[in-house]
Amino acid sequence: MSSLDVNFMHDVANTPRGRGILTCIQCGRCTGSCPVARVIDQHNPRKLMEMTILGLRSEVLHGRLPWYCLSCFTCLDRCPQGGDVGESMFAIRNLAVREGNIPRGILVQAQSLFDTGRVVTPTRMALIQRGKYGLGKEPKVEVEAVQKILRRTSFDKLINRGS
Amino acid sequence: MRYAFFLGCLIPAREPNYENSVRKVAPELGIDLVEMKGANCCAPFSIQSLDYATWLALAARNLCIAEEMGLDILTLCNDCYESLLMTNTLLKEDKETRDAVNEILSDVGLEFKGKIDVKSFIDVLHEDIGLEKVKNSVKEPFNGLKVAVQPGCHLTKPKRIHFGEWMGISALDELVDATGAKSIAYEWKEACCGGPLRGIYDEVASQVAKQKLDGIRSSGADCIVTVCPFCHIELDMGQLEIKRHLKEEYNLPVLHFAELLRMAIGIELEDWEIGAHRVPLTKVLKIKEGK
Repeated sequence: MSSLDVNFMHDVANTPRGRGILTCIQCGRCTGSCPVARVIDQHNPRKLMEMTILGLRSEVLHGRLPWYCLSCFTCLDRCPQGGDVGESMFAIRNLAVREGNIPRGILVQAQSLFDTGRVVTPTRMALIQRGKYGLGKEPKVEVEAVQKILRRTSFDKLINRGS
Repeated sequence: MRYAFFLGCLIPAREPNYENSVRKVAPELGIDLVEMKGANCCAPFSIQSLDYATWLALAARNLCIAEEMGLDILTLCNDCYESLLMTNTLLKEDKETRDAVNEILSDVGLEFKGKIDVKSFIDVLHEDIGLEKVKNSVKEPFNGLKVAVQPGCHLTKPKRIHFGEWMGISALDELVDATGAKSIAYEWKEACCGGPLRGIYDEVASQVAKQKLDGIRSSGADCIVTVCPFCHIELDMGQLEIKRHLKEEYNLPVLHFAELLRMAIGIELEDWEIGAHRVPLTKVLKIKEGK
């Protein structure tokens, strides 16, 4: 086991959407409600909260653990403490990406967003279908405005699109 | 009733069927869809996972476009609905966050004022148009087609920004029943399709979808009806993935709710639309024709 970071829980709590970590009572209702925890052992929201509270920074932020959550918000609705476990997951992910932990599938979406204003762009098949149905081309995005916002929030640097 | 029509990314890019059926159904029910010029991605969970301020600013830009149009947003995708509704609710309630987001938006000449609402297609049909009017529009009812609805997560969750999980699901049940089909109960009805993990951890996405499909098969449903394009792709194309990797075959046709309603109104699907479904619609079309 690596060394413990006593500040880690507070780093999560001080990241937007992370406050809920402070109120976690380790009841496990999140795990009992979780559709991913039902099918794989690696994902266990209660345990991830516990590791965060204990200060296991590196174990939480550097592997696959932050990325198994579907963001379905079932745990959010069922948490007896007001439901911020599912929200804390976003805070943990925001911290993980700042340590270079971004799954490829998400990076591809983010780069597409920067380049086109969309996380996915139409396939050839979809364009043919749109033509057949008379829907025309996909609606035009104002990409310049999107890029202005992404530069302003430094999102461009986060996803290797910085100039 | 007029709405700012928010299409998002996935529907134009992967599911033109969904958009086409909504555009066919809308005039029949007095829904006027007005295009949102220049609108961008809603900033779904993948983008929210990367950066908080980016999420709120991108979602808020779309909200500002609708505010300038003076119209509530109608959105078809559960992910778009979640992102736009959560942002709209948060920015209306929290002045500090609103000011911070408006500071970013000033770079693109916009300001969030909090003047509109965000509605799903199901909200609009059930609350604004009303069940009676939907029922009256049905000319060719499905006689007893057994439907497993997939409400998806963010039609109803988190409950703090909705009426409550089961009320939202009941609204969809009632709309399906209005077409003459029957929405039936099944295990894990309220659960996620697994779609958010597709393209990230495919093997986990398939296992979550399989759990859902097992429950649907046991219920004896003839088909699945979705409201979210992610759920649609995951449960339709996902069946092919599951057949390949988990050696399980379901053959459950998957329809967009807009397609079900459209057929019940009496506007047939074109061959191209039928052919785009990965699991053939044969069973549904036979029941529709009374065979």
